[in-house]
This record gives sequence, structure tokens and C-alpha cells, in this order.
Amino acid sequence: MAPDSGSFPEEPLLKVLPLDARDRGTQRCRLGPAAFRALGAHLGSAVKISLPDGGSCVCAAWLRRDGADGFVQLDPQCASPGTAVGASGFRGSLSLRSLRLVSCPSLRLLTVWPVLRERAGAPGALNPAAVLEAAQELLRNRPISRGHVVAAPPGAPGPVAALHIVSGAPSPDPAGLVTPRTRISLSGVPPSEAEPQPEVPLGGLSEAADSLRELLHLPLRYPRTLAALGLAVPRGVLLAGPPGVGKTQLVRAVVREAGAELLAVSAPALQGARPGETEENVRQVFERARELASRRPTLLFLDEVDALCPRRGGPHRAAESRVVAQVLTLLDGISGDREVVVVASTNRPDALDPALRRPGRFDREVVIGTPTLKQRKAILQVITSKMPISSQVDLSLLAEMTVGYVGADLTALCREAALHALLHSEKNKDNPAVDEADFLEAFKKIQPSSFRSIVGLMDIKPVGWEQIGGLEDVKLKLKQSIEWPLKFPQEFVRMGLTQPKGVLLYGPPGCAKTTLVRALATSCHCSFVSVSGADLFSPFVGDSEKVLSQVFRQARANTPAIVFLDEIDSILGSRSISKTECNVQERVLSVLLNELDGVGLKTIERRGSKSDQQEFQEVFNRNVMIVAATNRPDVLDDALLRPGRLDKIIYIPPPDEKGRLSILKVCTKNMPMGPDVSLENLAAETCFFSGADLGNLCKEAALLALQENGLEATTVKQEHFLKSLKTVKPSLSHKDLTLYENLFQKQGFSNLEDI
Amino acid sequence: MTQDQPLLAVHEALRKCFPVVEEQQGLWQSTLRDSQPLLASLSNLAEQLQAAHNLRFGDVPPLRAFPDLKERLRRKQLAAGDTVLDKLGERLATLLKVRDTVSRHVEQVLEIYEQHADSIGIDAVLQASVVSPSVADMLEWLQDIERHYRNSYLKRKYLLSSIQWGDLANIQALPKAWDQISEDEHQSLVQDTLLNVSFFLEE
Repeated sequence: MAPDSGSFPEEPLLKVLPLDARDRGTQRCRLGPAAFRALGAHLGSAVKISLPDGGSCVCAAWLRRDGADGFVQLDPQCASPGTAVGASGFRGSLSLRSLRLVSCPSLRLLTVWPVLRERAGAPGALNPAAVLEAAQELLRNRPISRGHVVAAPPGAPGPVAALHIVSGAPSPDPAGLVTPRTRISLSGVPPSEAEPQPEVPLGGLSEAADSLRELLHLPLRYPRTLAALGLAVPRGVLLAGPPGVGKTQLVRAVVREAGAELLAVSAPALQGARPGETEENVRQVFERARELASRRPTLLFLDEVDALCPRRGGPHRAAESRVVAQVLTLLDGISGDREVVVVASTNRPDALDPALRRPGRFDREVVIGTPTLKQRKAILQVITSKMPISSQVDLSLLAEMTVGYVGADLTALCREAALHALLHSEKNKDNPAVDEADFLEAFKKIQPSSFRSIVGLMDIKPVGWEQIGGLEDVKLKLKQSIEWPLKFPQEFVRMGLTQPKGVLLYGPPGCAKTTLVRALATSCHCSFVSVSGADLFSPFVGDSEKVLSQVFRQARANTPAIVFLDEIDSILGSRSISKTECNVQERVLSVLLNELDGVGLKTIERRGSKSDQQEFQEVFNRNVMIVAATNRPDVLDDALLRPGRLDKIIYIPPPDEKGRLSILKVCTKNMPMGPDVSLENLAAETCFFSGADLGNLCKEAALLALQENGLEATTVKQEHFLKSLKTVKPSLSHKDLTLYENLFQKQGFSNLEDI
Repeated sequence: MTQDQPLLAVHEALRKCFPVVEEQQGLWQSTLRDSQPLLASLSNLAEQLQAAHNLRFGDVPPLRAFPDLKERLRRKQLAAGDTVLDKLGERLATLLKVRDTVSRHVEQVLEIYEQHADSIGIDAVLQASVVSPSVADMLEWLQDIERHYRNSYLKRKYLLSSIQWGDLANIQALPKAWDQISEDEHQSLVQDTLLNVSFFLEE
């Protein structure tokens, strides 16, 4: 055989085939005769195989039944820990060089760390003798290697699931053979986790993570101190927060960090069809957690716990209240083992049974809100840390843009950006870098999930400030009162200004109130919610109020946000004017007043970290601003108009001559104009025309030109404008305007009187 | 002929080993057959216990006369059960003996092969003729047989050790579980192997 060993000048590749069924559990490695010769092996000699993923396994070399060369089949029963699990599905090819013949002396002593199987029934401490015997049976006549894990075949009975080889004499490195005469002993300490656990990235959740970590670590690190203090360690945490903020991720990360065992159960999965089945499932889960806890610190994670423990006491709720009672007793019952920490998550904490939410059951409640600006930046940093992003990408800007995005949305955003970079960059296929444009492209596609169900979410056609003619001072006022607090919070803090609450725009119809708001929404990157009467009113009593309060709740979850109430006079009634009984509109008004200037927020709406001093950026970013527009400000309730609610009242006047000119310029930008057209003259002649009227005038003129010259018309001439000026009448009148002007005056008076 | 000396030694060992396996296989099978009635009676006992448990003795007039009949009956049944279990334990010990004997012989053969492994070439190991399978195959079969005995014994042992008088349903299902073990395994492995090597043994 020796001369043949040189017959492989270029390392032949062995194709890895799946294992024969009858070889399962034999730890054989089937090779062809040529490979046998090359290795110098004989039947049953130990071979150490380096696997492509960095692991290795030890097998007994055996000949292939058909004697064919170029293939390898291996049963990785004794393999390094990482590969022990999924290696059976491993495909590909191995170079012959990765196979190595190793000497395999018989072992006198061997120390192993057993991984015990979880048993369905019959809990209680296992007899070490039984474990030892099972270990002996499992290891008998096997070549093993230090640091490897010998897994029991799946169907085999017995208490042992796997054995970590800790040490032996002579040292089983690279390999050693277990014989019936080898004395096996059980190691008391688990082998140190050699391979570093892959970190679960966690951005912006440090406060919640700390509180969880403390619960897990305290009983582990200071058991005596706690015993001396006579304290029962808190064992329950309730995580509340909207979907996608990373509740599950947080639990996983903390568990992995602490090296604890995680038993994750989704509460709906526990539901059974028969009466009593759910309770049984719950009991089983807790039993299992207890069993796991007898070996390692364990965390039982109940996802979506509101499905399992709804509020008791309603009609037809007998079955559910039984389940709740079962959970309650089990939570109380685990007081004996301190290792089981129960963590439940929900996004509807108010739907839970109140009995669950007391110390002793769920001791702590951690509210995780939608991430704030800083948290978003942290999350983005974590996500993009492994992505090849170009240096021009400004994560702060991206975090600023992604208002209302939760962790899951941000992940989706980054994925979309990476995909875009991959698909659309032809020039550098080899090392695609994700740049700003990719993120902006992805930004168009990914909508924040918290926004998907929101009432009154608008798809706004972007409008720039410059597309609105005239009204320069109004624009400036708007920018001052809305855009500035959102964009430059530092300056506002420096000047000791409080956050403005809302703005009322009023003025005659057709003077670009709505368009102004649209431009406002375009210019400041924030959530924009527009509510109209159609969204609010419903035939059910109390529904309208609920919807309005929901709008505000969702807007608060996505701050900074602007809530736009168009035609507010129709939505809200006025208590001071209307003489009728309390109707819907007045109730809606009272809700709005409360939302604008209420006592505080609900606890579940908490966001960010509550303990430390907030930075001004954060403070201002929790701002929901309300913009209302009306052309009948006289019917609004007085309470709404006081400072602290709608504290800035902006009159939007009809355009003056200069304004009209710029409106006309904007309207005729896309029209082919004749050389004789004088917009200045038109502007002078169109007194009392509102912006909408002017737009209509231009349209009429263009239509007239088409009518006169047929479809071949090329330009719109001055005469067309003049002709259409005769037909189009201004929608404003002097009387209307004086009304608005007087109102404005009166407003000033009333303010004076108040002082 | 010196070239073949080691191979012949291995052949010799194999020839000695297979008859032992055949003999032990007979013992194994007969033990398994003997255990079946025992298991059946255990299952019956469990059924009786269950029935006695379900019956309310106070409600049956003819039985009312006997004081603490229920406890006595139970004690008697449990004693009977223990006897059966003892017998099953003996059977298990026989199976263990079979397993150990086979293991010992197989190990000897493998040891002999190990000693001569370096002088026997791979080709010689692979060489099969009409009457004799290759050495590689035969060694593999022996290993498989040994593993079969060990697994089978282990499963039966765990099955019997799982018996608890508290869990009557489990005991009632014992005969089925016992048969299931035999079915799950490659039942005819030993027989097939012995047939494969019959010409080699007669040689």
C-alpha cells in the first residue's frame, strides 16, 4: 500500500454522501480503498476529519461496501460542539487532506460532562449511577477526542442526550479509544463554553436589558447574600410595547449573554381544543422549565401573553378564567426554585388580568416604546455594523428621517437598501457598498409598521414652499412655530421656550391653507396624520371620541408628529355657541382639549428611558403638534383658542397684488404664454381673487385658447386672459374680508381683556 | 504462504466466533419468547389492579362482609406482580449474559485483526470469493451484531425499569412495547449474517 500513497499528486476531492441508514450511530467513516491506502489506515482505525465549517469529528475508518473511490460518508457522532447538531445534512466535498489518521490509545480514565435528556414524566433528581452506566454504554468501543461531544442517537433510550469529553488519561488528544476497562467519571463542572456565543445585536434597549439582566444575574452571582437578606428574588417581568420593538430579541440577547436556558413559548400555541387541555399544556411548560432550571438558570418566555391571560370576569369566560387561575398558581408555585425567571410579553398590557400584575407574579413591568431618535440611531448602528455601507451615509440623518420606525422596520429598511445596492450597482458587483441613495430608495418602500393601522395616515404629494405664491410672512410664521421647534430644539431650549402645542390657520376659503400644511409636512420629516370628519364620526356612541384619542395615541408613538384637522369647525362644536344638549361634536371637543393639554400620558405610552435626564432633543421630539384649519373661526370654542392649546392663530389673508402675481406665475409655469401676456396687469385687475380663483382663471384662459384656435393652439394670449376674466368672478367679497379682519381685531381685543 | 498467514489467523478467529454468535442468538430468541407470557401476565395484573381500583367495594353486597378486602386484594396482586418482575429480571440477566458473551468474542476477533492489520493489505481485506465474504464485511457484520445486542438489551432494560405500579396504563401496554422493540430493530440482522457466512463456516 505504501507505494500507492504518492499517487495523488493533486489532493483528490471526496464527495460527501449522505449516511446509510444502517450506519447511523456507528461512528463509521466510509472510504474507498484508494483513500484507505493514501491514509495508511486499516479497518476501524481512528480518523480525525476537519470539516469545512471549522469543526472536526472523529470516526472509525471503514471500507465502502461497494469499494468505490472518491466518496466519503461519515457519521459525525463524536464531533466538536458546533457541528454536532446539523452535520447530518452536510453536503459538499472534502479534500483528502482534511482526513488525518490519528493514533488511538486505549484510555484508562475518562471524565465526561453529561447533557441529560429532558424527560416528559417522572421528574426528580437522576441517579448518578444510572447516568454513569448510560455514559459507559454510549461510549463503549468508540474513538473519542477531547473537547468533542458524543451525541446519543436520536431514538436511543436512556437519560443521556450527549456527553462532553472533558479529560482523560492518557489524554484523548487527538483521540483515544474507550474500552470496557476504561473508568468513566462524571465531571461536576460543565465544560467552559470554548466557542464564543454569537452576539445578538441589541440597539437602544439598554435600560430594559439592564433590568432583565439583573433578574437573571442576581440569583446566580450572589446567592448567599440574597439568602442572608432573606429576600425572595423577583422572578417575573412583563414586557409591554408595540409589535416589532424587539421584545423577543431583547429576551434572547439577555439569555444568551447570561448563559441561561431559554424556554420560549408562544401563548396561543398553548391553547387546546378540549376543556382543560390548555391548562394541561401550561402545566407542562412550567414543569419543563422547572426541570431545565434544576440544571441551569432558566428563563421561561411567554410571548403574547394577553392571549393566555385575558381579563377575567366577563360572561362566557369560564374556560379562560380557569387558564388564568392556572397560570397564577403556577407563577406562585415556582417560588421554590429561584432559577426560573418568567418573562411575558404583550402589546396590550391593559387586556391582562390585573391579578397577574402584582409583585410576586410579574414583579416588574418594562415598557418598551417605539424607539426615540437616539435609540433609532443606536439600532441603525447595530444593524449596519456588518453591512458594507459607504462613508457618506449619515446615520444621524437616517435616524431623523425614520420617524415611527421600530427595530423590525429599521431592519427591513437596511435589508431593502442592501438589496437595492446589490441589484442596481452594475459597476462594482464584487464589493457592493450601500450608499445614501440606496437608503433613500428603500425609504420609499418601507413604511413603519406602527403606521400601518393608523387612522388618517396620508400619502402626501410633496409640495415645496416655493410652489406657493406669495404669503411670505405666513410661511415664515408657520416655519417659526412648527418647523423650528422640530428642527432646532436646542435653540428653543436655550431661549427657555416651551413646546408649542398647536396652530390654527384661518382665512377665507381658497387661500392655500391646506396647501400650506402640505408644504409643512413635506419640509419637516415627521409623521403627518390628517383627520377629517369622515374618519371620526360613527353611528356608535363614544366611537368618535375613541378614534380621536387613538389618533393622538398613535401620533405620540411616532413623534415628532403633526396632526392636521382640516375644517375643524365641522368636527368640533362650540360649547359657548351651540345651545343644544351635549352632542357628539362637543364630546369630541372635550377629547381634543384633553389630548392637547391633559394631565399626563398613559403608562403604556412610555418611550425611551424614563430615569435619566432627558436631552433637549429627546424632549422636543416627544412633541405632537396640532395644526387646525378653518374658514369659520368665529364658531370655535373659546377654550380651544387659548394659549397652551392652539396657541398660535395665523390669519391667512387673500393674496395682495404682489401675492397674486407670484400665484399667477406659479399657475402659468407650465403654460405656453404669448409674448403679450402681462401678468402684472392681470394681478392688478384681479382684486378679491383667491388663490383658487386665480388658478381657475388661468385654466379658463388656456381652455379658451384651445377653443378658439382648435387643437393646434400653441400659446395663451392676453386676450384669452381678459376674456376669461369677464366670466370668472372672484369668490371673495369685501364683506367677507372685513368679517375676517374684524375677527382678527376682536381676537386682539379679547387677548387684551384677558390680561 | 507467509503472506497469507495473518489473514488465515483472522479467518480462523472469524470461524470460531460465528458459531458462538449462532448459539447465543438461539438463547436470545428463546429468552425473548419466554418473556412474552410473563409480560402478558404482568399486563393482566395491571388490568386487575385497575378494575379493583375502580370498584367500590362498599356498593357490592356480597363483598361487604369482608373487611379491608380492597387492601388485601391489592397487596396480593402487587406481590404477584413482584414475582413476575423477579422472573423478568432473571430473563434480563440472561440477555445480559448473551450480550456479554457476544461482545467478548467479537472483541477478540477485532483484536486479532488489529494485531495483524499492518501485514494484511487492503486488497486482501476486500477480497471476497463465491464461498467466502470479504474480511471487511465479516468484521463489519460482527460489529453490527454486537451493537444490535447492546442496543436491544439497553432498550429492554430501560423499558422494564420504567415500570411503576402507579402507572397502570403503562404496564398494560408492556407486551406491545416489548414487541415494538423487536420490530424496530433490524430483526433478521443476525439470521441474515449467519446465512451469509454459512459457506464460509463449512469451508
